[in-house]
Amino acid sequence: MLSALILATLVQTTLPNGLEVTILPDPTMPVVATQVWYHVGSANEGKDSRGLAHLFEHLMFGATTTRGKGDFDKFVTGVGGEDNAYTTPDETIYVSEVPPEAAEQILRFEADRMRNLALTQENLDNEKKIVTEELRRGTENDPTSRLLVKAQRALLGEHPYAFDPSGSKADVAAATIASCRAFYDAYYHPNNAHLVVVGPVDPEAEMATIREAFGALPREGTTPPDVPPLYGWPFPSGFELKEDIPPVEVALVGAPLPPADAADATAVEVLVEVLAGGSVDPLHEIVVSRRKKAIEAGIETIALRRGGGIVFYSASLPYRRKSTAMRVLDEAIAELDRMEWLTDQTLASAKRRLAQDDARAFAFAEERADQIGESRWWLGDAHHAFDRTTRIDAVTRDDVAAAWRTYVRDATKIRVYVKPEHVPAYIRMFGWLYPLFS
Amino acid sequence: MAVPALLLAAALATWTVDAGTQGVLVEDHRAPVVTVTMEFPVGTWSSWARSHDAADAFTFQDDDPERALRKRADALATTIDLGMGRRSASLTIRCLTPDLGAALVLARDVLANTRYDEHELKRESRERKILWRGNETDVGFRLAQAAARALFAADDPRRLPYEKPERVETDVAKLVATRDLMIRWPGRVIGFAGDLTKEDAARAAEGLLPLPLDIAPTDVAPRLGAITPASSRAKEQDIAMSKLTQVYLELVRDSIPFTDLRRPAFLVADHVLGGHFYSRLYVALRHDAGDTYGAGTTEDGDVAPGVYAASTYTRAENADAIETKLRGVMNVFHEKGITEEERATASASLRGNRAFGRQSAEQILRRFLTERRLGLAPGFLDDQIEQAAALSLDEVNAFIRQFYAPSQFTMLRAK
Repeated sequence: MLSALILATLVQTTLPNGLEVTILPDPTMPVVATQVWYHVGSANEGKDSRGLAHLFEHLMFGATTTRGKGDFDKFVTGVGGEDNAYTTPDETIYVSEVPPEAAEQILRFEADRMRNLALTQENLDNEKKIVTEELRRGTENDPTSRLLVKAQRALLGEHPYAFDPSGSKADVAAATIASCRAFYDAYYHPNNAHLVVVGPVDPEAEMATIREAFGALPREGTTPPDVPPLYGWPFPSGFELKEDIPPVEVALVGAPLPPADAADATAVEVLVEVLAGGSVDPLHEIVVSRRKKAIEAGIETIALRRGGGIVFYSASLPYRRKSTAMRVLDEAIAELDRMEWLTDQTLASAKRRLAQDDARAFAFAEERADQIGESRWWLGDAHHAFDRTTRIDAVTRDDVAAAWRTYVRDATKIRVYVKPEHVPAYIRMFGWLYPLFS
Repeated sequence: MAVPALLLAAALATWTVDAGTQGVLVEDHRAPVVTVTMEFPVGTWSSWARSHDAADAFTFQDDDPERALRKRADALATTIDLGMGRRSASLTIRCLTPDLGAALVLARDVLANTRYDEHELKRESRERKILWRGNETDVGFRLAQAAARALFAADDPRRLPYEKPERVETDVAKLVATRDLMIRWPGRVIGFAGDLTKEDAARAAEGLLPLPLDIAPTDVAPRLGAITPASSRAKEQDIAMSKLTQVYLELVRDSIPFTDLRRPAFLVADHVLGGHFYSRLYVALRHDAGDTYGAGTTEDGDVAPGVYAASTYTRAENADAIETKLRGVMNVFHEKGITEEERATASASLRGNRAFGRQSAEQILRRFLTERRLGLAPGFLDDQIEQAAALSLDEVNAFIRQFYAPSQFTMLRAK
């Protein structure tokens, strides 16, 4: 099998300065994906450095001591490639995809900006204005994003995941050259980074370039300490929010999930797939189709490095009482506790769906680089990108049932209710008639 | 190193399944997955589709009251995607190779389903109304709506996505009759991509669809009206929205269709103006002074003209300044054109970027289906990149002087 041949040429090493390197050569791909994972994200910011992880995502495209502002982007564009960067609560990732003949130059650009960034007042002032416009566009002027940021804060309180990874306008305004320099010197080092290369490359030549470009960079700075896991965090029992959303009221019942490297994390992943990964959502079937108690309902999950969440939600026209909506959700979760959704057949199907997702990602250099980078940082070993199917196959029906009991049935639930700011008069007056005609 | 892409392209095979159906295969054995797309020549732009609620008939056909079809798909680890685009309707299944036989039986059962779920149809109708209200606070939607209204007549199908949607048809017998007819019209294609051979694909395509009718469909081809000429359009229009702390600007006009002889020159010009992170618009509006986070150009890609827009946004108090800058960039671009360095970079970039569409067999199949749907020869869109790269600076700048004339654009402001 071709995949086995490709895996045989996998290179995984750590340079003396601490830079971790994974190269997955695949001659069948037309582009090379290069990713640098810095193991610092918005959750690692303190009160004095809030917003800096995301601001750095911008500053890193500025001038260095050896290259001009925009040289990286112009080079990538000139060869028809694509580049970008992402800030999450757990990491900051710099990604590029280029034709193979341009891959070596990407490595040199990445090595250069890892330690040679020129932090000037002029560029910082400009990027602060740009990030502020991004925040206005992405959060301030979008009702759904406004709601999510408010919910994140209300739900997580003082947990490091409570803050929008993009920061706030006040955070951005407070950034100075000194605070940026301190952040850069603390976290942008080879010993806090993982370089991933996937695509049609010669691994020996690639490794030689990496040693030449990155090898002289000093081991300095630090990797920030882990943030507390979500599971076990003292969440509030519930709260209400209001936002300028379409005229529906949304009831949510949620519970935290374990960190990505927990012993039962794979069982949780399979649980989520069995429960909510297919085209028939069991909560929708109970609440909407059979009981006709809502206009929409479903199960959603979120995954972060130090934990995640599972959320059962329903949306109704705004005539139903909050207590009724919550009771309906509780009854539906109690019905799901009978675990009729978990059979040998549904378990096998879920495993096959996950296997298909992996097989489809196989063709894309960027997706495979993502898997490798995430496996290293979230699970502790890049090799977990390649043993995922084995780990999933090992999950039993009892494992999934145990995960349900631990993280749903026996969990302390959090209850959130969201109301629209505006309800049209016809819904306010006649919405209660809806069940009579359904 | 470009060999893999060439190998994939060379592995594309076509054949005749029956008098009304073409078969196509993009063979790729790197992973044990298969994608099958059945495409039918009826889209939302056809008046027949609209008068017969064909979009509802096609997209809700896998939803029976017991969810039996969807449960079978889940059990098979197969996804079924049903959709109707502007010019065609398609059913796509994705599965692991060993499940292909059972997945195709399921696809055939979906296309023969007569038991649509009436309750779900009613619920979808209600949800559609609620979501429509959500559009009122969506800046992107409101700008797109204003652009479509500025450029197209009220009955032009290009305006449809931006007008209040009709309720979902709940007469199941009518939906079934429409679906049964639309999947039998000739001009169909069954596309396979992935881990199977030509023999596998030819065998799988046999009898997969009901026999085609021997009559060509009527009223199915899109009937598009004329573009409202610039001289008849307002030069500017304000869109009032509550709670915005920014102003959003779009300079809009009709786009250059794929088959327009000016298209290669457009590709180069558009790349320089707004097609990348250091384009003219990005440099002037973002990198030089931090006025915005985003600036660029967008267009509807089709053989018919759609909307072309140059857009940006900024804080409310900076509105006048950024509008002056946006217009200034456009004016200089129109008057002075591009440089030889910009032309060469654009050509290299457009050429290099083609590799991104050749990473998987499904991508190559999708490109084939797009070109077929638009009546273009296979490889037309890639060839156009070569034509663009072969243009001289003078040819590109002559196009810019004609197409980017300020008088052709309408300014939209959401604030």
